[in-house]
Order: sequence, then C-alpha cells, then structure tokens
Amino acid sequence: MARELAVNPGRCTGCCTCALTCAITHQGEFKLTGAFISIARDEFEGTFTITFSSLCRGCKKCALACPSGALRVVDVEEMAEQEG
Amino acid sequence: MYGYSGKILDIDLTAGRMKERPVEQDWAREYLSGLGFNARLLYEEIPAGADPLGPENILVFNVGVLVGTTVPTASRTEASALSPATGLFGTANSGNFWGSELKFAGFDGVVIRGKAAAPVYVWICDGQATILPADHLWGRDAWETVRRIRRELGDGAIQVAAIGQAGENLVRFASVENGPFDAWARTGLGAVMGSKNLKAVAVRGRGAVRVAHRKEFLQAVDDTRKAIFSSPFYGPFSRFGTMLATLPYQEFGALPGRNYRLGAIENWVETRSRKVLPRYSNRGVACVACPIACAHWVEIKEGPYAGLRLKDMEVTPVIGFGAGCDINNLPAVAMVTETCQRLGLDMVSAAAVVAFAMELYEKGLIGEKDLGFPLNWGDERATISLLDMIAHRRGLGDVLAEGVRKAAEHFPGASKYAVEVKGLECFLLDPRARWSTWTLGYITSVRGGDHLRTRNPVENLRYNENPVPYLTEKFGFSEEMYERLDMPDELKKEIFDPVTRDVNIPKMSRWAEDLIAVYNALGMCIRPPVLHTVGPTLFARLYASLTGIDITPAEVIRAGERIWNLQKLFNLRHGEKPGDADYPSRFYEEPVRAGPAAGRRLDREKVREVLREYYLARGWDPDTGLPGAAKLAELNLQSYTHQRS
Repeated sequence: MARELAVNPGRCTGCCTCALTCAITHQGEFKLTGAFISIARDEFEGTFTITFSSLCRGCKKCALACPSGALRVVDVEEMAEQEG
Repeated sequence: MYGYSGKILDIDLTAGRMKERPVEQDWAREYLSGLGFNARLLYEEIPAGADPLGPENILVFNVGVLVGTTVPTASRTEASALSPATGLFGTANSGNFWGSELKFAGFDGVVIRGKAAAPVYVWICDGQATILPADHLWGRDAWETVRRIRRELGDGAIQVAAIGQAGENLVRFASVENGPFDAWARTGLGAVMGSKNLKAVAVRGRGAVRVAHRKEFLQAVDDTRKAIFSSPFYGPFSRFGTMLATLPYQEFGALPGRNYRLGAIENWVETRSRKVLPRYSNRGVACVACPIACAHWVEIKEGPYAGLRLKDMEVTPVIGFGAGCDINNLPAVAMVTETCQRLGLDMVSAAAVVAFAMELYEKGLIGEKDLGFPLNWGDERATISLLDMIAHRRGLGDVLAEGVRKAAEHFPGASKYAVEVKGLECFLLDPRARWSTWTLGYITSVRGGDHLRTRNPVENLRYNENPVPYLTEKFGFSEEMYERLDMPDELKKEIFDPVTRDVNIPKMSRWAEDLIAVYNALGMCIRPPVLHTVGPTLFARLYASLTGIDITPAEVIRAGERIWNLQKLFNLRHGEKPGDADYPSRFYEEPVRAGPAAGRRLDREKVREVLREYYLARGWDPDTGLPGAAKLAELNLQSYTHQRS
C-alpha cells in the first residue's frame, strides 16, 4: 500500500523535532539550519510554517518523529477515504 | 568535543573585551553542563562580601549538553549570579530556543562580568560576538526589545534574552526574559543584567551538535521518548499544561488566596481553573525538541481584554495573581501576565509583592494617598498600575521593588504579612494545607522560597494525606509505577515504606534535589511526565552516547549531589545561617481561614524534626545543616569550603 506524508500545519507546536531528525538522518549531525525541512516560527503570532526544501528525499523520518500530528505518514487509500 | 560545543564565551563589559575558555573534560564529567558549570563558576569567581549589583558579580548562562538534539524536552539553559533578592546563589532555568541557538552558534555558555559604561547589548552569531550600543533600547519593554533587535539584525529567528524596565531599574525580582513569553524569572537576575548596563544577549547559530555514538544515542533518545509517552501524566499535560494543578490545589484548600489566608476560593473552578482554559486556548506551543508543548497559545476574543494574544496560561500567574491577589478571571490574569512579561518581572515574586501590598492596604498600613489609587483585592487595573510603579521605582513602587522582606521593614508590623524564605517570595501552594516533598523544598532550596527544585517525581495530586504526620506522604500509584521508577533499589527501600509505599518526605527531598540538579545541568525539563519517567539510567545512556564520555547512573546522580552541595557551600560563604531554613511566621502563627484546610497551621517543632531528618539524609550536620568533611570528600569537594574568604 502506498504511504504518503500528510501535513497539517495547524497542529504544529513549533518544536522542530522534525528538522533535527532530518539533519541527523541525512547530514549526521543535529542542526536547524540546513535540514531539508524547516519550521519558521512567528513567535508573536504563535504560528509555524512548515517548508520542505527541494533536497528533501521523502524519507518521512520527520513525520515518524513528529509528536504533534502536524506531520504524519498515512496510507494513500485511507487518506482518500477520509477526504472523500 | 561531541555533544558540547567545547567553548564558553567570557565577556568583560568593563574592558569591552572577550575571550573563549575551553570546556575541560574533567569539568564535564563532574559537573555535566548547565547548572553544574554555573555552580562551579560562581563558587570560583564571586568572593564573600561581593555586591550582587556591583561589577564584581558575574552573570552566567550555561546550556544543558543534551540541548540541540532530539532528546525530548532538552531545551533548557540555566542562568546564575549572586542574587540581588537573597544575597545567595541566584539561579533560574528556562527553555524556548535560546539555548539551542547558542549551541548552534558554537558556545556552551556565556559568562558576563564587569559593567558597561553605557547601555549595550551582546550579539553572538556563528562563533563571533560583538558588543553593540543599546541606548535606543534602554527604557523599552522586553517585547519591544526582542522585536527591535530581530528587525535591526535582520533575522526573525534570532533568540533574545532581554530585560525590561524592571531589570534596568534594579528591581530585586526582575527577570531576564527569554524571547517575549519565557523567562529566567526567579532570584532577580534581570537586576544583575541591569546593573551591568546590559539590555540583551541576542544569539543566532547555523552550526551543529555532533554525536559521538549515533546509533546508541538515537536508541537512547527513542527509549526516553517511549518512557515519557508511557507516563499517565503525558496526555493531560499536553492538553492542559501546568493548569492541571489548579483543580487539586482548590480541592486541598491549598491556594495562597489573598496572600495565604484563603485556602479555597469561591467560584474558583468556574472562573480560574483548567476547566475554563479551553475557552481561551486550544493549542500548545513547544520549546525546542519538546513533545509535550505544555504552554498554551491564548487569544482573548471578547470583553475588556479582547485582542490580547500571548503564549502562556500557566499555573504560576493563575495561582499567584488569580488566587494570591484574587483576580477573578483568566483574561484579566492574562493581561497581568503580559504586563510582567513586558516589564520583565518574575511573576511568582510580583504576585506575592502585589498581594502583600493589597493586604497592607486592607489593614490600612498604606492608603490611596500613598498610591494614587485604591488597591482592593481582585483589582487587575490597580495591579497593573502597581507593577508599573514597581518596574519604574516610582513612589511606593520604589519600596516594593525591594521584595516583600525588605519592603516590610518600611511598615511597622508588616513583616508578618511577608511570605518569603531567605528573601525569596514563595507563592504557589500552602504548606499548612498540603505538607509534602514539594513544600519542604520551600525551606531546603538553595535559592530560597521556591517550589521548583524539590519535587517528588511521583507526587500524587489525587491524595492529600500524610500517613505519618510531617514525615511521609501517600504514594497512591500502582506497583508497576513503583517498580519502574528509575532509582537504585537500596534507595527505594529507604524512601518508600515496604508495605504501604508511603514516601519518606525528607529522604525523597534529598533525592529530588539531586535529580533535579541533574535535569538543570543536562538541560531537560522537570514537567511531571518527564521527571516521573527519566532518571539516572537514561541520563547516563544519553550523556555517554552523545559525548563519548563514559558515565554510570551512580556517577550521574553523584554529579547532581555535588552540584547541590556546591551551591550550599556558596550560600554558606555568602552568609546563609542555619536558622534561615524556616517558613515565614504566618504559616506557624495563623491558621488557614477558609476551605478544607481551615484551621490548620504548621508546628514549629515538627518542622525542625523533619528538617533534621533531611540534613541526616544529606549527610550534613543534623543541627547546623553544614556539609561535613566526609561528605565533601565523597563528592570530591574536599578542597572546597563554606568558610568566608
């Protein structure tokens, strides 16, 4: 069954675990700048914007690490059912 | 080095010079990082007799070594200095993103010494540091300072530690704000920054944290995450944050209502408890790497405070201002919270000071002519006006800016209304109504009347029972929870009753203090789902695999004990006396007036007995509380002394 990354920015709490996980997975060290996913935190608005860089390889490790449900790995059929 | 950045930045504001000092491997193993490094630096550098607001004081920030990684809740940085509030070890811990940014900028910590000739701020970016003028920021509040620094340096991701007007004006309970909504709040560190003419420390880093043994580390991180998720507190804490405590405190009658007179408050549940939180907030905001996101984004959509938006609807301001000053609705408490965040005031002490002033007003010791306005219980507008007077040291605000202990000296007969220990206001939970490890911590804590350094990791808020009065508190969890608690078996047998599992309070206090010292040294958060489940075994695995420095669980907790003892030695050198470990007279002499605990007060003899038990558990002299030579040798502190030098 095809599995895809589902993004729900409204659930993001801004913890950046996704970006740290991406960096350790693909670059072998922890950092926030240079990961293939980044979270722009607008602190005064309490909002978070999730951006994937063109270098993202779609490994979905970020979603597996996301504690808030903003990033999830879902079955494509399941997603279609939910939306349909 | 792995895990560590390997460097501490040392800035002399008098000379306008800075240097880097390496993190020594021996230091790392014995003091870990964070609070541990701060304790060592303060002990070595601040002589007896130093003025907390003089250039001889140093202000130190050290980040926990686990920060910058995916270790859940590893976000925390400890800030320390000789405290203007207590004259003792001043220290506070804060999360958010400042610490991770400092590590990514290439430093584990920053030491600030001396005094700048004119207002400045420090800008640390990718291994470089610059001292910049701050005349244009002086006089501005902390929110505005954060905004302006980000704008003028052209990067919204810059993390800013800043003081508001309270710090500039040397208010003894001024905070260092960590971004707009978080803070190193307790013990008046903002005044130390103000005394140095230092408005802010801004940081930005694009570097990385390296890992010694990646596979082992990621496995340890995964196990830590699973442990935290397994805690029964995890779900409720994610949903309600610290507001969870608002219901049991009312149930126990342990609120500090109207300056510790009313233990329970009418309409509390409907107006100020977690039950009303969802009306104003429906989502959490996290510190870096935190899966709990206990802080809440708050939006007030109607009423006099419509339009107010901020992070935090936390138990501290809700109980402090909501109960202590009896401000009877959450939007008004949120408005007062914003005021404290902007002015840069420690909300625990600020609430205690306002409640103290409200009681003086009620008793007629101060009047409208002294203030320019009435100061009745529950009046949030008057509260905000008074906080503004304090932050700017205007009129009576100048007296109150000294904190309740010193302010009480100005009003004959007022000292009995001052609720503080060692000069630090304790303002959250009433020990007369709930006697526990937590409340014993008010008098054992090295930073004075405080509730955050002595917390039973298995505190149970469903019960309020002391099976042996003063000596034990009820455990009340499952046997599985007992088995899983990460504590050496022989110690478990000493702390927990073999049959009932009741918790020995003085012995648990010692364990809790050492454990929390480790948390504050490594940079993890003491929220219950974490404190509950993560102990020396996981810490040792995380630390060793991240840094490559082998350490055993026993050595980890020993480091915590060493850090606690060194803070105590610092305090003794700076004049702490055995009798200072005592509650304010109100708790002995006046019974709680209302609620389920009405009529209760503390028994001085019983408190002394339990304190003696605590000193014995610490290996200190049971009468004086002085750490003896054998204990210091055991901790490799034999060359350290509590003598004034």
